Amino acid sequence: MSILSVKTKITKNIQNNLNSGSIKRLLRIISSKPVLALYVSSIKSITDRYLNIYTIRYMNEVYSGKYPVAYGSLFLPYELINGLNLKPFLPEVMGGFTAGLGVTDKTLKTASNKWYSSDLCTFHRSAAGACEMDLFPKPSFIFCSNLACDAAGKSFLNFAKKYDIEDRYYLIDVPHENDNESINFLSQQLEHIFYDVSKKLNKKPDLEKLRQSINHSNNFRKFALEANEIRRNLFDYPQYFNGLNYILPFFGLCGTEETVNLFKIMKNELRDKLLKQDKNKKMKKVLWMHLKPYYKNEIFNILEKNNCRVVFEETSFIFWDELNPDKPFESLAKKMLSNPLRGNGGNRIKAMQYLSDYYDIDGVIMFSHWGCRQSNGLSRLVKESFNSKGIPVLVLDGDCVDINNCPAGQIKTRVEGFAEILNSI
Amino acid sequence: MYTCGIDIGSVSTEALILDIDDKKNYKILSYTVNKTGSDSKTAAEDTFNIALQKAKLNKNEINSIVATGYGRVNVAFAKKNITEITCHASGVTLLFPDVITIIDIGGQDSKVIKIDKVSKKPIDFLMNDKCAAGTGRFLEVMAKTLEIDLENFGEIFLNTKNKVDITSTCTVFAESEIVSLIGHGVAKEKIIKGLIYSIADRIISMVSRVGLEAPVCLTGGVAKNSGISNAIEEKLGVKLKIPFEPQITGALGAAYLASNY
Repeated sequence: MSILSVKTKITKNIQNNLNSGSIKRLLRIISSKPVLALYVSSIKSITDRYLNIYTIRYMNEVYSGKYPVAYGSLFLPYELINGLNLKPFLPEVMGGFTAGLGVTDKTLKTASNKWYSSDLCTFHRSAAGACEMDLFPKPSFIFCSNLACDAAGKSFLNFAKKYDIEDRYYLIDVPHENDNESINFLSQQLEHIFYDVSKKLNKKPDLEKLRQSINHSNNFRKFALEANEIRRNLFDYPQYFNGLNYILPFFGLCGTEETVNLFKIMKNELRDKLLKQDKNKKMKKVLWMHLKPYYKNEIFNILEKNNCRVVFEETSFIFWDELNPDKPFESLAKKMLSNPLRGNGGNRIKAMQYLSDYYDIDGVIMFSHWGCRQSNGLSRLVKESFNSKGIPVLVLDGDCVDINNCPAGQIKTRVEGFAEILNSI
Repeated sequence: MYTCGIDIGSVSTEALILDIDDKKNYKILSYTVNKTGSDSKTAAEDTFNIALQKAKLNKNEINSIVATGYGRVNVAFAKKNITEITCHASGVTLLFPDVITIIDIGGQDSKVIKIDKVSKKPIDFLMNDKCAAGTGRFLEVMAKTLEIDLENFGEIFLNTKNKVDITSTCTVFAESEIVSLIGHGVAKEKIIKGLIYSIADRIISMVSRVGLEAPVCLTGGVAKNSGISNAIEEKLGVKLKIPFEPQITGALGAAYLASNY
């Protein structure tokens, strides 16, 4: 059986039997060595291959019922959650997965039937629908923060209520300022979570495991920085490589050995590509802001066909300093506070300007995801800040999850038009 | 050499044939404006054939064809596809070399394009949202609801003193609003004036986002409606430049750019 037919069969199976039992069964089957080998056999990029193997095996573990599962929003210190031996499950990322699997017609409809407003971001809405349909594994804990996305704190409360674990729902309050008081305030919350969760798990707090997680995070950071450095001059990427596909390992599985391995493999593969790259190859360099559509779309192919390459994504930015394993809570608090998405938006613009200089960017695409107010509210200032330097910005209105809210023809014209502008400069 | 530009919009398809020399001196040999209908591929072929007949040329004599507009990918016989953003910019700068801002209001989309003063190439653009509000289609639906010929809207706008505000931007809701206003005995002329201002407001908002810089050119089928152009001029405080045939600027730009391929 060809790889394509395996993939199509799996997707069709999920679409036609949308329940947690069939998802569990499928994950068990795909995770078996021979099927997994077949599944990844046609993936040319070794990094993508490892990502697929790692993600499928990880999801199989999460759905197995053998481990305590922790729901978490995107911008959490996952070193802490992995250091507590919990299995992170990111509903927002799963919202993206529902788009990739083509089941958002069902999840979004279910969410709508349960009073989720249609102007709520579809990452959350699709996740909420999937949760209402019992497609997600049962959580033991729920963690969220108010960093960047305020919606998680609210919509995740529905999950806590559904599973009657409101006493295991933690909302981390991240201050807008980055000063000593904020560091103390935040590190105390993280420390409290660590000890409180350990207590609720009836386990002795394992600081050694937490330190190990911090060390993994530092190693991942080191390889990711090296990969990012290589990308300054790289145009000839592995087939289908897209930095926006690494959200789960970059965020949720930060602090695991597998993420270290993944980014080491990525660094090596990108380095090899750079060494073999035609030195005369030049393309227009695009910086991508926010996330991308996770259903099948042509945006990146259109860019490539028009001599433009996304050389870096906002989400791949290593913005934090190395963590101190002996001061885990303080280090993680500092990491959260150094996130450019904290605060009024000025930090984000500064960070994007830094990336634009570092990568010698020709143009910026800011994907304006429906309902994502934390990001979209800044689009005008982003545009002005880059335009003042002569760098064109395309604010691409669309939806990362709901294909029906993002007409392909209109997107094509906008992206092609933008590429034509970049090539005419 | 002879080149052709074909612009396949959602409502109309235009073809234009140029005689252009190496120094880029050009002469328009023919142009035609046709309905797109349900089959953009056939519309492209038919429109191209009419333009050929008018120019007294046959297919083999055309050296290069560029297709543009939303249906550009359906023109298999084109040498290249270029977006309507670049083609409109190119076409307008041929007709009005000093224009900096282009407002194009088509059948189902409207766009604002900013041209660089020096390079004469587009540097920014904005297109309307995923709905028909502020487009030609919106006007067509309203004309049907009011049972007044769309061609008369311009004259009515100029001769009517007062307007009623149309608050709905959605075409369907605006239609209901109009039915309700008629039911309340509001004069149709006042409704038309209100409708035209509502479209102008949407366009002005787009112009503001891109940044108004005169001279401004208005293109697209809706540019033929003097009510709309007057309302936009009034709101912008700028006299608009309108091409002799506002629907052919995309095809003109495409034909001109075709000489590069």
